[in-house]
Amino acid sequence: MSKKNKLDFEKNIISQIKTGKIEMKPKWYFIAGSLILFFGLVGLSMGAIFLVNLSIFLIRRNGPLMPWKLQTILSTFPWWIPVVALFGIISAIWLLKKYDFSYKKNFLLLIAAFVISILLAGFLLDKFGLNEVLLKGRMRRFYQNIELQQKKEGSVKSVNQQNRQLNKK
Amino acid sequence: MSELSKLTDEKVVEFTRTKDKEAYAEIIKRFQDKLMRYAKYLLNDDEKAADVVQESFIKAYVNLNNFNSKKKFSSWIYRIVHNQAINLIHKYKKEIPLLDNIDFDSGVDIEKDYAKTEITKMVKECLKDMPLLYKEPLSLYYLEDKSYNEVSDILRLPVGTVGTRIKRAKILLKKICLKKTN
Repeated sequence: MSKKNKLDFEKNIISQIKTGKIEMKPKWYFIAGSLILFFGLVGLSMGAIFLVNLSIFLIRRNGPLMPWKLQTILSTFPWWIPVVALFGIISAIWLLKKYDFSYKKNFLLLIAAFVISILLAGFLLDKFGLNEVLLKGRMRRFYQNIELQQKKEGSVKSVNQQNRQLNKK
Repeated sequence: MSELSKLTDEKVVEFTRTKDKEAYAEIIKRFQDKLMRYAKYLLNDDEKAADVVQESFIKAYVNLNNFNSKKKFSSWIYRIVHNQAINLIHKYKKEIPLLDNIDFDSGVDIEKDYAKTEITKMVKECLKDMPLLYKEPLSLYYLEDKSYNEVSDILRLPVGTVGTRIKRAKILLKKICLKKTN
């Protein structure tokens, strides 16, 4: 590199610093960024755990999965719940990648451990009766709405099935 | 300023952040040659390399409060240059193909045949023809004298992956250099 270039770097940048053309971002800016990242990760993980727990609860409420029952559950299941849970997990993994430790460890293993932890936490929450507590408490209406929606869809589907059978006859 | 030259990179950064912004000139002095060399390895173009280094110094200054002084400053600033260079490569779409179909015969151990100084010489001569994927770790390890851990921090890759890439890069290097001499 020529000497001219060397001098240019120093001169250019220092003169821009002196005139205030380039300024350091304040410390609080980066602290705020770290906090948003942390709480975003925690929030997404907790949301995903809750929705996994809710999915397990809804499957459990329908009793043992006989083949004919499985078909009914599949057709009436509120699929937005596991879909949002999956979206939460993917977003959380994306945020996890921003941390330094993500590239120091085997990231695939880290993802597997994260997903398993979320599924396990969701399963344990359901096992320890969180849904029953929420069903009787503040989130009663939320649970009732989901069940009502499931029943409505179930009855609409059974009416359609009956109509189809009548038409065939 | 003469006092500054005795301080470590991390202490100069701390001094720049808290006492005198112009102390950043010391950082520029210390790193401009090394960063220019690294950018040139990646870009094969003096002018573009100078642009990348200048942009990187500015970016580093703007984000200086984000640097954790418990870590190595050199890895941090190399990382910035790396990102800027990669962005430029993608912008101009001049990236050399990754050459996934190359046969990395595991039986070849270049270190058995050559000493580190000889490999360094080979790297200098044949680096231009290497794919970017292998050019990065090879130049950092042999030409910039970075440790595996530092290369890992700069490229944000696990240390094991750095080792594998360097090993493969050496095999490829031998093939490229032999082709050149023939």
